[in-house]
Parts: sequence; structure tokens; C-alpha cells
Amino acid sequence: MSVKHTLAPFSAWLQAFSKPFTLPDKHGYREGADRYRGWHINDTKKCIGCGSCAEICQNVAIDMVPVDDPVKGDSGLRPRVDYGRCCWCALCVDVCPSGSLGMSNEYIWVEADADKFRYIPGVDPKPWDNAEKGWRQEEGFDLVDHERVPMPMLDPAERTKTWAEVVIGYSEEEARQEASRCVECGLCVAACPAHMHIPDYIAAIRDGDDIAALNIIYDNNPMPEMCGKVCTRRCEGVCSIGVQGDPLAIRWLKRYVTEQFDDLKDVVHAEVERVGEGKKVAIVGGGPSGVTVAYYLAIRGFDVTIYEALPQLGGATFFGIPKYRFPMPSLEKQVKLLTDSGVKIVTNHRVEKDEMRQLVKDNDAVFIGTGLMKPYGLRAPGEDLPGVMYALDMLRDHHIGKKVDITGKVVVVGGGNVAIDASRVSLRLGAEVTIAYRRRKVDMPADDEEIEDAEAEGVEIIPQAIPLRVEQTGDGRLDFIWGPAEMVQEEEGRRPRPKLIEGVENHMIVDRVIVAIGQGAEHSWMPEEIAEKIADKRGWITVDENGMTAYEGIFAGGDLVNSTADAISAIADGLRAVVGIQKYAGVLPQAEDEGSEPVAIAK
Amino acid sequence: MEFNSVHDILDFAISKEQEAHDLYVHLAEIVSRPELKKTFGEFAQMELGHRTRLEKIKAGELPGLPDTVVQDLKLSDFLVDVSPHANMDYQDAILFAMKAEKRAYDLYIALGQATSDAGVRQVFDGLAQEELKHKQFFEAEYDDVILEGN
Repeated sequence: MSVKHTLAPFSAWLQAFSKPFTLPDKHGYREGADRYRGWHINDTKKCIGCGSCAEICQNVAIDMVPVDDPVKGDSGLRPRVDYGRCCWCALCVDVCPSGSLGMSNEYIWVEADADKFRYIPGVDPKPWDNAEKGWRQEEGFDLVDHERVPMPMLDPAERTKTWAEVVIGYSEEEARQEASRCVECGLCVAACPAHMHIPDYIAAIRDGDDIAALNIIYDNNPMPEMCGKVCTRRCEGVCSIGVQGDPLAIRWLKRYVTEQFDDLKDVVHAEVERVGEGKKVAIVGGGPSGVTVAYYLAIRGFDVTIYEALPQLGGATFFGIPKYRFPMPSLEKQVKLLTDSGVKIVTNHRVEKDEMRQLVKDNDAVFIGTGLMKPYGLRAPGEDLPGVMYALDMLRDHHIGKKVDITGKVVVVGGGNVAIDASRVSLRLGAEVTIAYRRRKVDMPADDEEIEDAEAEGVEIIPQAIPLRVEQTGDGRLDFIWGPAEMVQEEEGRRPRPKLIEGVENHMIVDRVIVAIGQGAEHSWMPEEIAEKIADKRGWITVDENGMTAYEGIFAGGDLVNSTADAISAIADGLRAVVGIQKYAGVLPQAEDEGSEPVAIAK
Repeated sequence: MEFNSVHDILDFAISKEQEAHDLYVHLAEIVSRPELKKTFGEFAQMELGHRTRLEKIKAGELPGLPDTVVQDLKLSDFLVDVSPHANMDYQDAILFAMKAEKRAYDLYIALGQATSDAGVRQVFDGLAQEELKHKQFFEAEYDDVILEGN
């Protein structure tokens, strides 16, 4: 053994007194960079549960899970991140349409239980929840296109000179571009009363397959061209892209597809079993709910007849909605598909009591969708004077080709869609129009876009104006006298009510007063033994989960049944009755019985 | 009209509620719309409820009449009167009920003003507030349902 080797143990001990080369605390904290991609954070108040983060994640590290107390109107789900899979790429943050998701600059987390590394950011409390640093969406760098492709429209000055459609419609290129903005989150499906398969048909439009798109649309909507033009579009109200930008133009995209085909017969293919052969159904009222029942039962082999009092089907979409919003050829095209599908249509035929009794006897089921056809009156002194009329009557007469006596200066009383339609029709008939509405402008039930369009065309709106009486002037005109209202909040969470400020009277000299305050049910055609059973004290009809009334075999839907009074809700009522009638007739296929939604065509 | 005690006043008010009940029962019989028969039937039951409440107050089973002031929307002030007829609709029915409650309110206010007895006036004021509460119920229904679009 050499001397060096003999002394080695002692020389090693000498190192004990040297300065160490290692750090005293190797686990010492070092802050992550300002834009470090660390543990996730989520502002759950902003998050809408759209699932875009889960959709884009390439490692399937995010799943959407239900949480307690979701914010009203969102999906009720929140993202849960599995850090056994996450690669911290931050695509989830970059795509987040609401901007709620981020990443903290924290990166240290010691835990013995591996399952803990899967948590719901913002719901399961973590020390970094309020971290200000870390990865966030960069301003100006968006994976989502926030700007809607603008819809070409007629110039407001030109509109009132014509009955042409105000909305011109997307070109093919515009439609494909707009469709490509969809993140396919599906929040819209839940919001749509008919649960239309929106992301699917939007994807088909994006991919250039308009035939597929139209067939998907016809899954659960037999009047899509109408909806593409005038739908109240609750889908757009919840669109995740709309949180930080313009919601996807779902309505206009539906419109685009439906306008691509002149004859639907060769394009729409219903692949359903004809389970209803030998069964007969009568439909009283040819509005959207009745049309829905008729179409989806007819393609299933039912012998269906619609009885309509007016010269055309469509209900309020025919006699109420002006042609500059929903032109006649659009309606006729949809009606033609009904007749092509075997539906028998009897127009200009009002069913009366005895005939209704007979229909109940002769059919396997009867559907009532007669709508709210009786306009409520002003019930103010002077209502009976010549020149005072009801918007519903005026619009109906105009649409069935009768002469409508509109002239000079017109005041329309009301703030709903009927009031706006009556105003814009009056404008086009050459009148100068003012709307007097009892509540605030923000309370107007009419569609915001319709209100904007009416104002752009020259309609003046006077809010908080309570009609007091109408008097005849010496020169044969009308003095519309109104008082100002203050708004009083009776109950928290309810819309405030207008209360007259006494002692002030305003005068408006006009030639016509058009009343559009609301409408109710009219059941004088209905046999007493049926009305007694199915109508409530307000005249509305109550139905069960199958759309059936308390009178066995009689189903109902539309404005008579639901309080939303829009066409898509009526269509949803019709879809429910389609399933209900098949069930009642004992022919509902098992697959549809177990379906989670009343979808009419199984694909 | 002379009232010698609070009991006299309450008896008068109870008889008024009974009259209202009987009127609604009659209207339920004469109207042609089956759904309106339900409406008036419901109104009649409400009047019975009011009568029972006053009877309980009179018997000391319930505390006295409220002294809180009820919000008055005054909707019925500028709407026309409705005469009962067979073809009444729901709007007519609500309007008729609103006006009836307003007449009852006006009556109690007038009776209260006609007396110099502060205690008696207080009872009439309480009854007036009760009627105002009933009127408000119908006015809210009118505002929500009939004037939904206005």
C-alpha cells in the first residue's frame, strides 16, 4: 500500500473544514417567471362551462364536471384538470372564450396522494387561486375570432320605400367564414327550446356541406327558413364566443342554408320508420306548433290533416310577421314540403264546436295550436272612436290582402314585437309613427334588433307613457292623451311597474291609434265540455309531459300553452306532442321513447 | 250609515265581502266561457277568504287591521268601467274585479272621512287598506297578463 493511500482517510477529513459547494437548502423557493405556465386558476364567476378547454386539450387532461350553484344560464359544468396528463401547453387558456381560465406562476406542489393532482380550478381551493402572475390570454392574440361577419342590410332610408327584405343574407364565402368561428361548445343546444343540433349544422356549413346542414336542421325544425329569419335566437344569447365578442350568427347561418334550395323535397330525407300507418290525427290551427306536429307525424306514416281558419298556414308567422322580415315565398316553400310529405291542408276553414266533437271521435288524436288570437283592448275612454284599431287585426288584414286604412300620423300603443311590426308596416304604408310604451325602453319585450331597426327607419319611441283616453278633435283627427309614469319596484327581482304621475296630461294629435298591448285566447269555437277541462282561468291550456291536455287524446302547444310566445317554443311544443301522440297511439319506437330529447328524426 | 262600535263596522265590512262573493257566484253562472266560470269561482272564494279574515279579526282570533300603507298602482283609475255580461273575457273579468275593489276602497275612505271619531276612522282606514291590497292583487294580474306587451 502506498503512503498516499494510507493517508487518504485523514486528508478527506480535511474537506470538512472547507466552504461547501452545494446550497444549504436545496428546496429553497424561487418565484416562477411572470408568464410561467404553472397550476391552473379559473374565475368561476366568469366561466360559462362551455368546455372549449376540454375540447382543445390534446392530452385529454381536462374533463367537464358538474358543480354546485352554477351561474344561471351556463352549462353548470367546470373544467377539472388532471396533472398526470397536462403538459402545460396553455392551449386551454388561449382558447377560453370567456377569458376565465389562466395559469398561475406557481409550480411547486408536494402531495403524497397522487389523486390530489386532479382538481377543479376555482372550485377546489388552492394557495395560488389569487395569483396575479402566470399565463393569461394575450391581448390581440386570439384563437377565437370575436368579430361576427357583418350581415348586409338595406339602407334604412331605402327600407321604408319597399316591402323587400331588410336583411340581404350571407354569401357563401361569408357563411363559411362565420361558421368557422364556432367552437362547438353546444351551450346553444341547451338554450334552444327545440334543442336543435346547432354545432353539427354549423360544422356542416363550415365544411361546405349545405345538404347535410339542411338535413340536420330538419331533424327538429320544420320551419327553419322562418327561424332563420325571425327567430328570437336564445341560442345566440348563451353563445360562448359572445362573452368576449359577437355571438355566432346562428340565425343568419340557418337562413343561409335554407335559402340555398328552392325545392326541399329532393334535399330533405327523413330516415324514419313509418310507424303511424293507419292512424289519423287532426290538427286545429296551422301555426308553428301545428306544422311541427303535422310534418313529423306525416313522415312517420300518420294520416294528418291541418285545419286553418286563415288562407295560409304559418299562424302568427304568416299573419303577424311582416313580409320584409319573412317573405311569402319562404313560407310557401316550407308549406310545400308539408304537402309533399303527405299532410292534408284545409285552409279558410274555422273548426266549430260540432266539427271539433266529430274530429275527436274520428281521429286517434287531435292537436290544438290555435294561438292567442284575441287582441286585448285599451279599455280607455275613446277606444271605440273611428281610427282606433288593433295591431293584430291590422297586420292580419294587411297580410291577407285586405285594404288597411293607415294614414297620416299614427301612434302605436305597446312595446312587444307586434307593436314594432305594426309600426314598421305603418311606416311602409306612408305613415309617420310614434310608439307610446308604458314602461322603460329596456323593458320592451320586442327583440332589441327590431327596436333598433324601427328607430333607424324613423319610428319615435316614447317610454313611460300611460294612455289615458282618446278624444275626437274638431277636424276629425284623434287626440291621444297620455300621462307620464314613474317606475315602482314592488318586489325584488321582478320588473318594476309603471305608476301614473298624476296631474300631467300630454296631447298627441294623430290620425290613427293602433293598440298592441297583448293578446289572449279565444275558445268560442271549442265545445264547452272540452274547454272546461283543458283551459285554465286565463284561457291558457295546461298539458302534461307528453303535451296532452286533461282531455284524453287532445294535445296542445304553441302560444296557448307556453308563455314565451315565440315560434321556436311553439316548435318545441310540437316536437313534444309528436312523441306524446306516438306514445298515446302505442306506436312510439323504443329508441325514441328512451331518447333524452324529443327529437323527431333519428339519424 | 251609522256605526256605534267597531263590531258594527266589521259586520258591515263582512256583509260587503259576502255581497261580493254572491256577485261573483252569479257571474260564474251567467258567463258563457267555461274558463271564465273558473275565474269568477276563484274570485268568489277569495271574497270568502276576506270575509273569514274579518270574522276572525272581529272574534279577536287575529290581530287588528293593518296600518301599513299599500302601494297603489292606480291602474283602475283611468280604465273604463265594465258592466257584467255573458260574453265577458278574462280582461273584462280582471277589470271588473279591480273596479269593484276600488269602489270598496273609496267607500271606506269616504266613511272614514265622514266620522269625527279617531278610533272609528282608524278602523275604516284599515279596511280601506285591506281593499287596496285586494285591488293591488288584481292590478298586478292585469299588469302582468293583460298588459304584458305594454
